Amino acid sequence: MAEHTFAGMTCSEVADQAPAFVLGILTPAESDAVRRHLGECPELHAEMAELNSVVPALFAAVEPVAPPASLKDRIMAAASADLAARREAAAPAPAAQPSPPAAPPRAAQAQRRSWDFGAVFRRPVWAALAAVALVAAVALGAWNVQLRDQVAGLEAYRSGVVRVLDEAAKPGAQLAVLSDPSGAPGPTGLAAVAADGSVAIVMRNLPATTGTQVYEAWLIGADQVPVAIGDFTVGGSGSASFLTSHAPLGEGVVVALTLEPQKGATKPTAPIRALGQARSQAG
Amino acid sequence: MSDPEIAARGTAGSDADRTDRAWMDRLAGGDLGALDLLYEQYGAMAFSIAYRITGDRSAAEDVVQDAFLGAWRNAGRYAGARGSVRTWLLSIVHHRAIDAIRRRRPTVELPDSETILPDTLTLPDAWGDVELRLDREAVQVALTRISDVQREAIELAYFGGLTQTEIAERTGVPLGTVKGRLRLGLQGMRAALLPLDGGRGGGGG
Repeated sequence: MAEHTFAGMTCSEVADQAPAFVLGILTPAESDAVRRHLGECPELHAEMAELNSVVPALFAAVEPVAPPASLKDRIMAAASADLAARREAAAPAPAAQPSPPAAPPRAAQAQRRSWDFGAVFRRPVWAALAAVALVAAVALGAWNVQLRDQVAGLEAYRSGVVRVLDEAAKPGAQLAVLSDPSGAPGPTGLAAVAADGSVAIVMRNLPATTGTQVYEAWLIGADQVPVAIGDFTVGGSGSASFLTSHAPLGEGVVVALTLEPQKGATKPTAPIRALGQARSQAG
Repeated sequence: MSDPEIAARGTAGSDADRTDRAWMDRLAGGDLGALDLLYEQYGAMAFSIAYRITGDRSAAEDVVQDAFLGAWRNAGRYAGARGSVRTWLLSIVHHRAIDAIRRRRPTVELPDSETILPDTLTLPDAWGDVELRLDREAVQVALTRISDVQREAIELAYFGGLTQTEIAERTGVPLGTVKGRLRLGLQGMRAALLPLDGGRGGGGG
């Protein structure tokens, strides 16, 4: 094969990296260069296709493990919220854009409607709330973005609550109600600390993070030393659902959240935004 | 685009291709029923792969949720990708799971989190190869046809997310040896997985 250079790589170099490329273990810059070379190079690079075709076989070698039943609920709920946000974003503001983009077939619409407001929402009150909010979002033009965030946030919060309660229902699990330690109205949420050390947290009314900011979650055991257990970011919806784990710290562990300027805090550097003591639900 | 491979592939898998495409069209159109079906079909396999890579049930759940939502939001981009919906979806799962474990290892350069399509799926159609047998039994046999060290290298790469240099360090052999093991291992598996009818469409070389 003739030697060409594209994206700073010769054909030989691309061939040399072919196995690593198809296995997805090159750095982003390296794999980008390979992809760009392949896109421009007149050579067939047939071995690349041969190696690539083997990769799906590796999936079939994986030992089957059953996912929890709640996973599908979470995915459907999140997709439903996404769809609501998308549809709302596409909906014309009053009198602004008279004809909506190509309508999907009626059958598809009917199916969607049953998903949006039926199966996905377990409790009718949530469905009603979301339906009202959606109607309002379409009607009120300027409030669209804010309402969309609220609807998405509401749905994310709902599915997060379901998840935390599922965790809290497990034997030996503890549940904490999180709120602003000063008692002021602010972020609220729940945290479940399972016997195996997994911690599920769901929060709402959190101010959005910006830049490198993250919310860091802490466990405070009997020794009163906060241990960082993971971080997450929050968007405009103010809601967050978060799953992490840490070696169990025993009964009555305190769960706390701080808003840290960046990832990686090993001790809290900012005031506690939400706090709650976990209690066993048994008996 | 008159590549004989593509023509051959078109005839070999046209029904499945059409079904897959219709499925993706429904997803792209925001059909939650299609997502439901996708999960019913591949959710368990997706979870198994994510669990195999992360070794952690909750991390695996997050990976699968991310992957299905990624598929849901990006189904419109499937039209240009080669391979079945199964391969497409499971590759996204793999990609996300590797991201998740690399995030635990701060020394590794992280992919852009916005990039949800694995590289192999953005290859142009002209890179198509013959369709291999991918049933579990054939794959198990294929894995016995390659050497232990080749299998180890592939596993460290694909399920461990290790770079070639990291595999070399881990296994105590030079980088060139790692590259050779990966290549020979994949080629050996391919040879064992070629269709029994002799590979309709040819290898294109």
